[in-house]
Amino acid sequence: MVIDDSRAMRLILTRICTQLGFTVVEAGNGREALDKLGAMSELPQLALVDWNMPEMNGLEFVTAVRAEARYKPMTLMMVTTESEQSQIVRALAAGAHEYVIKPFTPDAIVEKLALLGLVPNGAAA
Amino acid sequence: MIEYPSPTADDLLVIAEQVWSSYLDPEGVNPLIQMPPGETPKEVSAAVSVTGAWRGHVVISFSAAASRHAAAGLLGVDYDDVSTADITDAVGELVNIIGGNVKSLLPEPSALSLPHVQTGGSGHWPNVKEICSLFGLWHNEPLTVSVLEGTSSTVEAGGVGA
Repeated sequence: MVIDDSRAMRLILTRICTQLGFTVVEAGNGREALDKLGAMSELPQLALVDWNMPEMNGLEFVTAVRAEARYKPMTLMMVTTESEQSQIVRALAAGAHEYVIKPFTPDAIVEKLALLGLVPNGAAA
Repeated sequence: MIEYPSPTADDLLVIAEQVWSSYLDPEGVNPLIQMPPGETPKEVSAAVSVTGAWRGHVVISFSAAASRHAAAGLLGVDYDDVSTADITDAVGELVNIIGGNVKSLLPEPSALSLPHVQTGGSGHWPNVKEICSLFGLWHNEPLTVSVLEGTSSTVEAGGVGA
């Protein structure tokens, strides 16, 4: 699942994930993502989550997902322009597993996903 | 107490080069070329506001053609197929990324607004002073990145329309 209010950024992340073999569902903010999750019979393995979004931001989304036991298997990775150490700590404390700062290269995303065991080491996007 | 020197044009260039190499010019074919200070293009403006320990705005201004190139590059579509909505989305995301990286150079804690984009008019930011600006040429078209610090106790949203 790719959650970002920018269509361009969703497209970039979707392209990377698709090339890695993922099937991607997109959402434009945290609220829309929660609504889509609620309607899914099979949960996504992974959500790439922007921070600054209208309606429900990424930190609120991570907090909401972590409050639901049935979403526990999901891996959450923040992909955001928020780059201060204090913000990274907040996101990880809320339940994000990894953190990527924009701008990123496809290789940076792949490396993080490999660290999380979601793609093999050396995978290419 | 942590000292936060003001961002400089060199800082903006480093950030912009990271954005260009990641999204707009990954092959290194059409780099952003830094230019001497000149006239700020007025056709398309995108801004994010910073509030908190530091107050102000980060603004990118594009010529119409530069904004169209940005949308084409970010969305991976042909230049001639770019719509106004594409431009709004793309330049909004660019200012979000650049603004977020500028914010990391500023005193904490502070918060970044959602981007505001205006096409077809010049932006206006009341009660600010310019801290630094980067003037650039891309695809032979002008763009500028500016950091504007608020000079009053509040940062007025003003600037560019939502």
